[in-house]
Amino acid sequence: MSLGFALDLSENKYADVSTKEKERLFEEVKADMRFNDVLYGCYECGICVAACPSARFYDFSPRVIAQACSREDIDLVYTLMNDSIWDCSQCFSCDRCPRGNSPGGLITILREVAVNNGLQTARDALEGYGRIIYKIMSTGTQVSPDMLQADAFPDWGTHVTEISDNLEIWRRALPPETLHTTETSWHVDEKTIIELYLIWHMTGVMDMIKEVDEGLFMILQDVMEERLEDAGYDDVTFD
Amino acid sequence: MADQEEIRGCIILKDLHYAVGDHTWVQVNDDGTVTVGMTDVAQNMAGSVLHAKVKKVGAVRKKGKPVGTVESSKWVGPVKTPIAGEIIAVNEALQNDPQLINRSPYHKGWIAKLQPSDLDGDLKELLSGDDAVTAYRDKIETEDIMGCKHVEGFEE
Repeated sequence: MSLGFALDLSENKYADVSTKEKERLFEEVKADMRFNDVLYGCYECGICVAACPSARFYDFSPRVIAQACSREDIDLVYTLMNDSIWDCSQCFSCDRCPRGNSPGGLITILREVAVNNGLQTARDALEGYGRIIYKIMSTGTQVSPDMLQADAFPDWGTHVTEISDNLEIWRRALPPETLHTTETSWHVDEKTIIELYLIWHMTGVMDMIKEVDEGLFMILQDVMEERLEDAGYDDVTFD
Repeated sequence: MADQEEIRGCIILKDLHYAVGDHTWVQVNDDGTVTVGMTDVAQNMAGSVLHAKVKKVGAVRKKGKPVGTVESSKWVGPVKTPIAGEIIAVNEALQNDPQLINRSPYHKGWIAKLQPSDLDGDLKELLSGDDAVTAYRDKIETEDIMGCKHVEGFEE
């Protein structure tokens, strides 16, 4: 079947699994408490595609996501979970759907199921984000000024070397004292960090990380358990 | 100069023991302790190291658990010890100069020293000499790991 664009929706494009396994994954998607609020049925008007920035640049269609889920086409959903869902920028421009669907919201759920089940494509998609996940989860800030190094960002131009060489003194020149940092975007209070770690613990986020990147899990576990112990939470472990 | 082999510019010292999968090396010291570090291949893949945080002295680590965390501009990962035991010393110099790992991965850039709990058992799973070189060559070629460029220089 031709859909008029190059998105390859053929079956068996990825390591195939049994129909039963595809059903199980889709049941997990449907069981998510948000599912009924993001999908009401699609009449293919295409407004979501017209609004979608990713659709302009990639072989990606939010409409296909909504269609596949409403038809319960488990083969197609499985293919999408291994491919298209990682092309979405989660901007939710597609929320302007006249039926009230949120293809972006569906993708959030599909991604979570892909991660929780350790799908290889989820690992591949997230591999490049290891340091960012480490930063967010261990410090509460996403990027750090000291990431700007000439070897990692040659496309930023030659002044990157000057920035990295003078980073500490330039950061100290910023008026808010909370920005006099190089390892984190801003100073993060100890109480905030401990609260964050407890949130990761209670919500099972670390179990998710363990599924996709064991090395990352190990170092986060080390950092968090040590600081939690220092703060008096001896009994909180991530094993 | 120690007996060494070069694969795509990456240096492998033959007198060390390697956990090739984890890109770590082990040196058995005369007093029965071991020194653990990252290989030349690993430091090259990581890029210029920004932070190297090492576990505290006294921590007991199982085999395969991290003794430290190494962070570069775009990458972060654990240095997993191939030998179980208690950490008896950490490389304090890395705190002020983490790029020692880039410049001297096998000497000044060592990560931690451990008192092993089962040295003979753990060593059996590691490779040294020509076996290590062959295994590393296979890994580099199979995974098409980029060649080593010693942009910071390479110190013995």
